[in-house]
Amino acid sequence: MTSPISGRQPQAVRSALLILEEVAAAGVGITAKEISTALRIPPATTYRLLNLLVAEEYLVRLPDLGGFALGRRSANLAPLPLATPTAARTVMRRLRERVRWGAHLVAFDRHRLQFLDPDPDHPPTDADELSRHPHATGLGRLLLAEHDLPDGPLARLTPHTTVDPERLRTLLAEVRESGVARQCGEFHAALGCLAVAIRAPGDGRLVAGLALTGPADRVAAPNAELIDLLRDHAAELAPLLA
Amino acid sequence: MARIPGLRSRSPVAGLHRRALRPLGVFAQSVATTAPAGAMASTPLLVIAVAGSGAPWSFAIAAVVVGLVAACITAFARRMAAAGGLYSFTAKGLGAGGAYACAVAMIVGYGVLVAVALSGASWYGGALLARLLSGPAADTGAVAAGTGVVLVVALAITAAVCAIRGVRLAGRVMLVIEAASIGLILVVLVALALTTAPTVPAPPVGGGAGGGVGGVGGVGGVAVGVLPALAAFIGFDSAASLGVEARRPFASVPRAILATAGVTAVLYLVATLVVLAAPGATEGATSPPTGVGGVDDLSWASVLMDLGIVASFGACALAALNTLVRVLFSLAREGVAPAVLGRTHRRHLTPAVAVTVAVPVIAAVVVVGTLAGVPPATVFGALVSVATLGFLAAYLLVCVAAPRFLARIGELTRGIVVAAVLASAALVAILVVVLANAGTGLLITVAALVAVGAGGWLVLRVRRAAALRGMGVYDETTTADVLGAPTSAPPR
Repeated sequence: MTSPISGRQPQAVRSALLILEEVAAAGVGITAKEISTALRIPPATTYRLLNLLVAEEYLVRLPDLGGFALGRRSANLAPLPLATPTAARTVMRRLRERVRWGAHLVAFDRHRLQFLDPDPDHPPTDADELSRHPHATGLGRLLLAEHDLPDGPLARLTPHTTVDPERLRTLLAEVRESGVARQCGEFHAALGCLAVAIRAPGDGRLVAGLALTGPADRVAAPNAELIDLLRDHAAELAPLLA
Repeated sequence: MARIPGLRSRSPVAGLHRRALRPLGVFAQSVATTAPAGAMASTPLLVIAVAGSGAPWSFAIAAVVVGLVAACITAFARRMAAAGGLYSFTAKGLGAGGAYACAVAMIVGYGVLVAVALSGASWYGGALLARLLSGPAADTGAVAAGTGVVLVVALAITAAVCAIRGVRLAGRVMLVIEAASIGLILVVLVALALTTAPTVPAPPVGGGAGGGVGGVGGVGGVAVGVLPALAAFIGFDSAASLGVEARRPFASVPRAILATAGVTAVLYLVATLVVLAAPGATEGATSPPTGVGGVDDLSWASVLMDLGIVASFGACALAALNTLVRVLFSLAREGVAPAVLGRTHRRHLTPAVAVTVAVPVIAAVVVVGTLAGVPPATVFGALVSVATLGFLAAYLLVCVAAPRFLARIGELTRGIVVAAVLASAALVAILVVVLANAGTGLLITVAALVAVGAGGWLVLRVRRAAALRGMGVYDETTTADVLGAPTSAPPR
C-alpha cells in the first residue's frame, strides 16, 4: 500500500515528531489548537499531522473528540529498559539449583514478553518469537488469560498447537482457574512448558511470569510438586518486581 | 497514575469484530455498494440521452460534487470510527434532530438500495436466462419473471448468509466479484468500441455548449445529466459504517471513500467516452434495453456484459445490506431502535438479528412487485429514484454537519467550510430539481416517508428522549488504547 519513501518532506516529519513530543509532555487531553499555538505550526498543518498520527495509532482522540493522548503504539518508540533486581536473580538461582529444567523469568510489557532472567544453561527462544505466538506458549497464555484471544487466525506451529479459538478459550478459562498455564509440544514439538503468573502484591495485576521448560512428555505429567515449587518462588519474586 | 476522566473501559459498540478487516476489504465494501459494473453499463446511456456529447461534463460535475461530499465525510472518518456511518457523524455536528433525519434517510437509502440491487439482478438475470433458453424472438416474459423471482430469493439468502458469516468473508466475496465484473464490462466496452467504430470517433469532449453530435445537450442538458450521473455514485460512503471493524480505521476508511469516488469517476468517464465514440455499440448489447428489437444480439459480448452486471448487483446487495444492518445495530445500541436489533452473533460477531429482520422485508417488496406484474424496468427505476433521494438527503445533512463539528472541537479550516458550502448548495439545488420534476408516485412516496419519519421522531421524543440525546455512539477510545492508562501496566 505504501509508496517508496522519498524523504523529501523533512519539515513535515520534524513537525510530526514535535507534536508527538508535545502531547507526551502536556499529558492527556491537550487540544489541536493548543498544540498549534505551542509549536507555532499552522493550524491546518497541525490538524493534518494529528489525523495522520491518530490514523497510525501513535495518538488517540479522547471521547470528546477534541483532546489527544499518546496511543499504545507510542510505547514502541521507547521500550522500557528493564533492570532485574539482584534479589530476584538470587531467587532464580535458588530455583535453578532445585530443578533440572530451564527456568525463565519474563516480564509482560503490554502485549510483549521481555526476558528478565533467562536460564543461561537452557537458552530460551527469542522473546519476540514468543510474543508473536502467545496462543502456543505457557507464558503467552498467562497474558491471554488476562485479556482475550489475539486478533487473526491462530498459527499452527506444531501438529499439537491449539488453533481452534473455542478450545483456546476453554484452556484460558482453566488458566484463570488454576493459575497455571501448561503447553506440551505446541510451540516446539519436543518441548513443553509450565508457567505461573507473578502478580503485584497491591492490586494483583499481572507483571511477570515464571516458566519451566522441559521435555514435552514430562511436562504433560501432573507435576504437582514442581507446580508448588513454582508458586512458592513466584510468591517470593512478586514483591521484588512489582 | 491518575485515572483519566471520561474514559470507558468498554466501547459502546462492543460485540462487533473490532479492528479485524484489512484495508482492501474496507475498499471493497465501498466499491461494491456503488455497483460500478452495473452503473457503467446503464448510466452512460441515460446521461447521453439528456446531455448528448456533453455527457462527460455531466459526469465530471457529478464527480466534483461527490469529491466535495467525500471531503466532508472524511473530515469525520479521520476523527471517529462509527458503525452508523453518516448518521453517527451527523450527530456530532447537528445533534439529535439532524442525526435522526440522517438515520431515516440512510435506512431508506440503503434499504431501498438493497432492493434496487436485488431487482436489478433479477431483471438482468431473468432476461438473460430467458433469452438463452428460448432465443431472442420468443415471448419470454413469463420465463423472465419466474427466473427473476427465484434469483431474488436465492440472492437474498446468499447475501444474508454472507453478511452474518462475518465482515471478512463478505469483504473477500465482494472484492472478487467486483474485480471480475468490472474487468468483464471494461473488456466488453473496449471490444465493442474497437469493432463498431474503426474510424476516428467524433471528439466527445468538446464543451457542453458546443455539442452537436448527440442532437440534445447544451448547458441545460449537461445540468440535467448530473442527476443520473450522481445516482451512479451513491453508496461510495458505505465504508464509513465499517469504522469499528476496520483495522486502523482512521487511515483505511477515509482512504477507501476517496479511492472509491476517484476510481468510479474514472470508470464512468471511460465508459461514457467509449459509448460516445461508438454510438449504437452498447444499445441492445445488454438484455433489458432490447426494445430496439430486430437485432440478433445473442452475442458473446452481451452475455458477458449481462453476467458482469448481475454479479455486480449481487455484490451491491451484500454491501448495502452490510451498511444497513450496522445502521440498525447502532440505532439499537443507542436505544432509538428496538434493543434486539443491537444483538450480535456470538461467534461471527455481526449484527445477525438486524440481518434476519431486514432481508425478508426487502426481498418481499421486490418479489411482490415482480409477481404483481409490474415491469422490471418500472420497479427498478422507481426504487432507484427513492434510494437516490435518501442518499442525497443523508449527504446534505453530513455536509452541513461537518463544519459545525470541526468548529466544536476547535479544528475548523477554511478548506472544509468551502467544501461544505459548495457541496450543500449543489445538493440542495439537485434535490429541488428532482422534487420539482418528480411524478406523483414519487412525491407521494417521499411525503409518506417524511410523515413516517416525523411521526417516529415525535413518538421517540415522548418515549425515549434520553436515547435521542445520546445518539451518535461510536467506537470511543477506551482505557486499553491510551498509553499510561491504568490497565495492565508494565513493571517499573
